[in-house]
Amino acid sequence: MNWQPSLVLLPGEAHGWRSLFSFSMEENEFFGEKTFQHYCAEFIKHSQKIGDGWEWRASKDCSDGYMCKTHFQVKNGTAVSHQGTSDHVQTFLPVEEALDPPLDDLEVNETTTAAEVIKYEYHVLYSCSYQVPVLYFRASFLDGRPLALKDIWEGVHECYKMRLLQGPWDTITQQEHPILGQPFFVLHPCKTSEFMTPVLKNSQKINRNVNYITSWLSMVGPAVGLNVPLSYATAASQDEGNVDGQDSSIERKSLEEH
Amino acid sequence: MTDDKDVLRDVWFGRIPTCFTLYQDEITEREAEPYYLLLPRVSYLTLVTDKVKKHFQKVMRQEDISEIWFEYEGTPLKWHYPIGLLFDLLASSSALPWNITVHFKSFPEKDLLHCPSKDVIEAHFMSCVKEADALKHKSQVINEMQKKDHKQLWMGLQNDRFDQFWAINRKLMEYPAEENGFRYIPFRIYQTTTERPFIQKLFRPVSTDGQLHTLGDLLKEVCPSAVAPEGS
Repeated sequence: MNWQPSLVLLPGEAHGWRSLFSFSMEENEFFGEKTFQHYCAEFIKHSQKIGDGWEWRASKDCSDGYMCKTHFQVKNGTAVSHQGTSDHVQTFLPVEEALDPPLDDLEVNETTTAAEVIKYEYHVLYSCSYQVPVLYFRASFLDGRPLALKDIWEGVHECYKMRLLQGPWDTITQQEHPILGQPFFVLHPCKTSEFMTPVLKNSQKINRNVNYITSWLSMVGPAVGLNVPLSYATAASQDEGNVDGQDSSIERKSLEEH
Repeated sequence: MTDDKDVLRDVWFGRIPTCFTLYQDEITEREAEPYYLLLPRVSYLTLVTDKVKKHFQKVMRQEDISEIWFEYEGTPLKWHYPIGLLFDLLASSSALPWNITVHFKSFPEKDLLHCPSKDVIEAHFMSCVKEADALKHKSQVINEMQKKDHKQLWMGLQNDRFDQFWAINRKLMEYPAEENGFRYIPFRIYQTTTERPFIQKLFRPVSTDGQLHTLGDLLKEVCPSAVAPEGS
């Protein structure tokens, strides 16, 4: 399977505690829901720039929501892309679940049948019990037949499987999605703050802001077949309001237009 | 908590008289009689239906049997919900016994979690207990317990042993004398009318001005549609 190199945490990566606390609504809250939503919004902004396919879905009553990405993959490992939308960007197909694109629209390198195309869905939700993000995922064939966990694992590179087995987290289990009520696989969240705290505690050295979601997803994603391109790291380190960042020049421009 | 011992016992020993009938399209070698059972409200379907499974498998061929699942009036029953919750949500307005249909094929993958063994039920149960303690005590009490205490909690539920269960659970229900209660109250509100399976939010037992919150306060804040407006 061809995986692009995933985001690697650089030593001394900083996190701005002040900006974190400014979004915290509750006392003693390490990572509140508002903070979560803020980092997801930033993550999605960058995703839109590079066509990585992440979007925000609000729950029907709009009280909360989650970040999600759907991509289609041919079982032997070539990602299916929709050519022609952008010169340098590999986009994935629309996220709407109701919309299963006809295979004619896809340019594939090998001849494939419908049964070999797999739809992967990744959802990032917030757990108010553990005050951390949680990764939910599932995969199915185009005809709706779900993949078992072992089938999903077949597509994960050995080194990431090792990471999952050695990592400071419990197993992957099947659980009910708290908003959709359907079965998903979940990476158990109770140890998340254990491996994220060292990342965040390196804050004072360099005043470089880190997107918690970017760091966290780059660690847990690859173990379950989710790739996080390196450009997210550069985007995260250019904080809104910093000079010399592409993001901030765009922001200044939009401020001028108002 | 000791004052409430009677209430705790009533909750624990709650039972629902149930009639299990094999789905008519299942292939049998002879007619399958319905099977009657009193189900514990606090337990889980796949934990307490071994006898049901054996009873129907006696009249079926091995090749026609795959994972068992249950359904009520067309709705697949989520084994990971406590039995009492399932009944209250779906069948409480119907006459007893609760009529459940048993299936051995066409597992509804999109609706139900798989339950390949008792270990999966134990893992789910313990995960719920741990999440509740994360809310009550920042996980301090559950994490300080030994593995054998966790096991005793599970065995107490599995074997319907009230005293064995509460010997451990009482520690999870205590809070320091100087506090007025838990950090947050673990709760979930289930409704059939929403897509969302349940409402779960952070809710403190005491208000900012020191008043103890009531159930009514909780409902008003997190599920206002369930509470009748004043004066109606």
